[in-house]
Amino acid sequence: MTFRRQVLVHLVILGIVGGSLYDIVTSQEHWPFSDYPMFASIHQKHALDNWYRVFGVTPEGREVPIRRYDELWPLDQSRLPLGIRRIAQTPGSEARVKSALEDILRRYEARRAARQHEGPEIHGIRLYSLSWDLEPYAANIDRPRARTLIAEVHQQTVAVR
Amino acid sequence: MVRALLDAWRRFWFTPATATNLGASRLMFFLGLTLFYLPHDFSGWGDVAPALLQPIWLFDRFDIPVLSAAALNIIQVIWKIALLCACIGLFTRASMLVVAVLGTYLLGLGHNFGQTYHFDAILVLVFWILAVSRAGDAWSVDALRHAAKNPGAPAPAPSPEYQWPVQGVLVALSFVFFAAGTAKLRASGLSWVLSDHLAILLDRVQYGISDADPLLPIGSFVARIPYAPQLMGIGTIVFEAGYPIALFSRRLRPFMVLGGIGLIVGIRVLMGPTFENFLLVNVFWVPWDRVTGWLRARFVGRTDVHGLLMSTPAVRSTDRVSHPS
Repeated sequence: MTFRRQVLVHLVILGIVGGSLYDIVTSQEHWPFSDYPMFASIHQKHALDNWYRVFGVTPEGREVPIRRYDELWPLDQSRLPLGIRRIAQTPGSEARVKSALEDILRRYEARRAARQHEGPEIHGIRLYSLSWDLEPYAANIDRPRARTLIAEVHQQTVAVR
Repeated sequence: MVRALLDAWRRFWFTPATATNLGASRLMFFLGLTLFYLPHDFSGWGDVAPALLQPIWLFDRFDIPVLSAAALNIIQVIWKIALLCACIGLFTRASMLVVAVLGTYLLGLGHNFGQTYHFDAILVLVFWILAVSRAGDAWSVDALRHAAKNPGAPAPAPSPEYQWPVQGVLVALSFVFFAAGTAKLRASGLSWVLSDHLAILLDRVQYGISDADPLLPIGSFVARIPYAPQLMGIGTIVFEAGYPIALFSRRLRPFMVLGGIGLIVGIRVLMGPTFENFLLVNVFWVPWDRVTGWLRARFVGRTDVHGLLMSTPAVRSTDRVSHPS
């Protein structure tokens, strides 16, 4: 190895080792480095509280949960709730939450029209915060203990993009 | 003391190794990624409303934009072609550099929209390690072309260049598991193992809170087997926090590596998170020179497949010195 090559290789090694150790020691996340905190905090209550979920509103007024990846693509049933909850919990974010919901509704309907999912037609979207007492196999998934409407949008409010 | 540490550093990273392990690992790793990402469409991120954008530090710090769907379509086609070229070893160094640059962008994109997932970060680190490596010196079209142009040219000699990238990937992988294990111990201590936490977690994921649902709907059943969650918790901590042992102990390596794979498979099956692509990094643990040596011994006289692929003379399995025990 030439001297320059050795310097380059050592920089790569030190970058990988240093970046990884820094995030582990400081409990921070600088993607692609991370302290990998998933599942680290323990749950002591047999409950799932304050989980955000979007529901579509059909033309008949029926509410259907929107969870499937092909309905939410490129978002998913975990990324969307966590992201939109963070936004919603920021003071003064009502307009931003509605804008996000309008985007979800627009994409859902566009993909449905293109037969990219088999969900029902919807005219609106409602965002709820849900809480459950845990039951085996999520037997009560359709019967949460608490349900709070956070925001809603309807198709006539959705701008055509 | 300092001299001993420097010697240990050099032995670990720069003991000369044959080109086989790095070349074959490159081929298998990029083959898996090419197949995995071929149907994957990144262009949707270009169509998500800015209202949902919450940039991670990399995109925020360097002011990296989210490109339009049309631009992302072009980029992902280039990236997938580069993945294939890196796999077969065609213009290997350039291909791997393109894979690293565009892969960092494409794989990072989704994390700007609400949640940073952890199944592809290690891939980006591997991309960059390989991008500055000589992983195309064997098991590649480039090696075949070189051999055709220079008949009788000597095979690549064992070199530190074939050792440090493999070690780099394995160290990065070890940090992932070690970080996950120590994060649990730091956040929750032994309660992570001894409490009902894992049983509760197995019930929680039934409510559709992971990026994908568990492959098998048996989490609630497992959660109610006496002591099963606690035993799983012990196994998780042991294999995660103890994973770096695999770097140094040849005897314990198979157990730790298989344990790590078991954890990832178990998470996918019982809890949902999609770590399938993460598993591909394990190809760097495989002593490919011994595998090809065994195959050659097994099928000796039938065909010289290894020699054809390597365009090198046979390398004895005892030549492999890449992993100090």
